[in-house]
Amino acid sequence: MSLSRMHKYLLAAGAIFGIAFGSWVIADSDTEDGDDLPTLDSIEVRASMQQPKLTLPNELTVVPVVKPGEYFVPPRLEDLTESKYADEVRLGRNIFVHTQQYAKRYVGNGLNCSSCHLQEGRKPHAAPLWAAYPMYPMYRDKSRQVVSFQERLQDCFRFSLNGIAPTLDSREIEALTVYAQWLSTGIPMGTIMSGRGFARIDKSEDPSPFNGAIVYKNYCASCHGDDLMGKKFTNRDGYMFPPLAGPDSYNKGAGMHKVKTCASFVKANMPLGKPFTLNDDEALEVCVHMFIQDRPWDPRKGMFMSIFMPVTEG
Amino acid sequence: MKNQKKDTAKRIVRMLGLAILSAGILTLSGCGKKSEAAREVAIAEGKALVEKGRGAVPACVACHGANGEGVEAAGYPRLAGLNSGYIEKQLKDLGRKLPPAGVVIESVAKDYSKTPRIYSDLTVFSPGLRHDEVMSSIAKKLSASDIHNVAAYYSSLPFQAKPVAADYEVLERGQDLALRGKPEYGLPACVSCHAPDGEGFGADFPPLAGQPAAYIVNQINKWQSGDRDNDNLGLMRAVADQLTDADKLNVAAYYANRSLTVKGK
Repeated sequence: MSLSRMHKYLLAAGAIFGIAFGSWVIADSDTEDGDDLPTLDSIEVRASMQQPKLTLPNELTVVPVVKPGEYFVPPRLEDLTESKYADEVRLGRNIFVHTQQYAKRYVGNGLNCSSCHLQEGRKPHAAPLWAAYPMYPMYRDKSRQVVSFQERLQDCFRFSLNGIAPTLDSREIEALTVYAQWLSTGIPMGTIMSGRGFARIDKSEDPSPFNGAIVYKNYCASCHGDDLMGKKFTNRDGYMFPPLAGPDSYNKGAGMHKVKTCASFVKANMPLGKPFTLNDDEALEVCVHMFIQDRPWDPRKGMFMSIFMPVTEG
Repeated sequence: MKNQKKDTAKRIVRMLGLAILSAGILTLSGCGKKSEAAREVAIAEGKALVEKGRGAVPACVACHGANGEGVEAAGYPRLAGLNSGYIEKQLKDLGRKLPPAGVVIESVAKDYSKTPRIYSDLTVFSPGLRHDEVMSSIAKKLSASDIHNVAAYYSSLPFQAKPVAADYEVLERGQDLALRGKPEYGLPACVSCHAPDGEGFGADFPPLAGQPAAYIVNQINKWQSGDRDNDNLGLMRAVADQLTDADKLNVAAYYANRSLTVKGK
């Protein structure tokens, strides 16, 4: 209470002047900035989350021109001569294509290896075996160590097939390794092949799950079903079109559960037979739609989740 | 007394529940019988139309065989055991009137990657057109109920394929294409949509096994020339565009060589 009356008056006047001057400055700067700014569509400034966009940029994504000799052509299965090695290759091919029959005890869902590695592991941009095999052993961020091809196969069984890894000396791992080695016949070790892995993805905006649901309905639902649960055979066991969600799909530890990986697969391979139909943003959006669905838990995060919080049927 | 009252109340509740359940079951079974009866009527009417024809509509058995098995030599397709939804769609597409000459209509965009994407429920794809000298004029004379009946009849028929012999090398190449496609050209395998034995899947993917080789080759030619353009998302058109003449012959011979048994319903 040591302030004199004079000081109080001065303070009050100063405050009033400050408020008035400040508000005038702000109002002035507002009008000036408003004159400078171009008129922007509100949708352009910030994507509306309430309502899906009505148009997307329709410039074509880069479609690789298919030239003879651009992609490696693995040897034909019919050209194999009769030998122990050929038998092992055929066994590996059968495990790869009919995983549900030949490696059923290691598989916990409804997928085959060839559900993602399309056309028996031969298709470029669908993680072909002939491009993967020469790169191993390699360092993996996921396990933070150098892994061999066989250890990598074990991870496929654990995560993408949501099952139990066969041991390194098991018949299944051996046959699959021989199959991959045969597919990559003639490729020097360590060669980075054209068509390795999936396609490259460059996002231009944050993907919206609202658009993803619409893209899914237009391009994917006729085969994979409206509920993403795939379509089962009517005349035999198993899935004709693999499930993208639910208890029979890959678990949350799989690479395909990462939106970017999924999108790079979708862009290069889906709809089947018309690759590079979706652009990068559409592929990302449809993968966000897949990402938010229910699927088995990551086995590394705790097995009790799978027991006490089982996956719903959709 | 209290216990007795509780018991009676419980009984009443149980009786009520039972009554509701039984009523529900009765209505359900009644509905099932009704739809079953409707299907049988459709099959009977379809059978009459297929065997005798009506007025200007000739009998289907004249070309498609007495049991819908098709004619191998002439390349007339088999219809027995096909998905009823598929038959209905094809008959509708065959009977759809082409736009009248002289009126310019915006062409149906076939390359969906080039079409502007309109993201709403109003997204329109081509309903599909299919042209055939003989079949288009017949399909135009069929009413919607005729189409439904014929489809119901043919989908109920059993079918047993008679494998056609072919050269070993041709079969080998056909199998390579059917099981593996041409990955280096982005051509998917036939089995990835038409089911592992070529038996077809659902209303979108018709069977290849048991079809005459000439019919398969003829249809692929029509995809290429544009006489047939009624596929889901333009998938088959993209596939057909990449097939060479030898590919067509090999894969048709392979599927004509397959054995197939379809149980009638």
